[in-house]
Amino acid sequence: MKHANFLYPLLVFLLLAVAAPVCAQAGPQAQLKETVDAVLAVLRDGGLGAAAKRERISPLVRARFDFPTMAQWVLGPQWRQASATEQERFVVLFSDLLEATYIGRIDEYSGEEVVFVGEQIEDRRAQVDTKVMTRSAEIPINYRLVSRGEDWLVFDVIIENVSLVRNYRSSFSEIVRREGMNGLFAQMEQRISELKAGGKAG
Amino acid sequence: MRLWISACWLMGLCLLIAPAHAQNLVDPTATRTVAAPEDDYSPFENEFDEDVVAVYDPIEPFNRAMFWFNDKLYFYLLKPVARAYRVVPEPARVSVGNFFSNVATPVRLANCLLQFRFPDAGRELGRFVVNTTWGVGGLFDPAHKRLGWHKKDEDLGQTLGYFGIPAGPYLVLPLFGPSNPRDAVGRIGDGVLDPWPYVLDETWEVIAVKTYDRVNWLSLDRDTYEAIKREQLDPYLFIRDAYAQRRDAMIME
Repeated sequence: MKHANFLYPLLVFLLLAVAAPVCAQAGPQAQLKETVDAVLAVLRDGGLGAAAKRERISPLVRARFDFPTMAQWVLGPQWRQASATEQERFVVLFSDLLEATYIGRIDEYSGEEVVFVGEQIEDRRAQVDTKVMTRSAEIPINYRLVSRGEDWLVFDVIIENVSLVRNYRSSFSEIVRREGMNGLFAQMEQRISELKAGGKAG
Repeated sequence: MRLWISACWLMGLCLLIAPAHAQNLVDPTATRTVAAPEDDYSPFENEFDEDVVAVYDPIEPFNRAMFWFNDKLYFYLLKPVARAYRVVPEPARVSVGNFFSNVATPVRLANCLLQFRFPDAGRELGRFVVNTTWGVGGLFDPAHKRLGWHKKDEDLGQTLGYFGIPAGPYLVLPLFGPSNPRDAVGRIGDGVLDPWPYVLDETWEVIAVKTYDRVNWLSLDRDTYEAIKREQLDPYLFIRDAYAQRRDAMIME
């Protein structure tokens, strides 16, 4: 008994010593899979309420997405014309909007599996191809990632050949052209609060 | 002894959590993401190009009117019917979808051939033979499930695109939704290869069958349009761009 007590922490240490360097060098697919698996584990946890799930998934998503890079490209030419405060405000709103969108879909989850098809790495960019298996279809979802320090962070999601950031860029530039930056901000704020309210009600 | 073990455990836990979740410990509401990326590297090309992604839409007011019409049709007629129809067990509805898809093989096969995609054409033909026999008249899809032969969704709009015919301005069709002149012409052409008008005598029968196909498909869809309406600032703009992106990609594939 004493021996067992003594050995267990030692074993944990040994395991960590082996595992830590592997974790640090994990490729884009391994890192993305870690996040996806963690999110799926939360979704499948029957003991958690919707609010608790939301709370747990939020940091997972935020840690894996490169929101500043996405936000900058989404605004495109208008990013340069925006003031520093506007840029900052846009990044915050864009991050919140994407997060609310992602988390708003939690309730729709009904046991779908995510299959990792493969990864291609090209310099500091990578693409990881996945398939979401529903009962009636396979939906291809490809993630594009950029390496920042030790991390591979998602900067675009391509669902059935439609790039999310390209789509946002197209929509947002139209809205800015018609209603200006403040019009865009107002619409984003409204949508974020609606998504959050909808999530709580459902 | 006890204390030592506890200390080991705690350290172990910290080590385990710290590297993987260092970022998670940061308060998510504090705007970690506001700071510019640590380095200036941008994974995008043409970062600041004007109109890198604009869809040509000169008749937007008309299109928005059609979009509005389709939206009402969806929410007040098609979707309630599809929702009620969901009492039919899902496997049965999947089989109905397989059946319609199998019947539509001539359209896909002809367009594979027109684009000289012979391996795809061969697979479409093979899928038809296998699914019609082994798949009990197309109700099941063993060609995909057992043999891994994927369906190749080709249509005349894509064939015209393959031969370099431009899409033209965005066009929202009543009932059929997002399109453009090229794909609208393609739709009419594909109608010639659609077997249903040849088997059924009356036009209303064809329309009924087509509507049923659509309702069945909608019943299997997991409320995609509702999600777009809920999440997007301007659903019209979202669908316009998504349609253009998707069609371009389908032509390239």
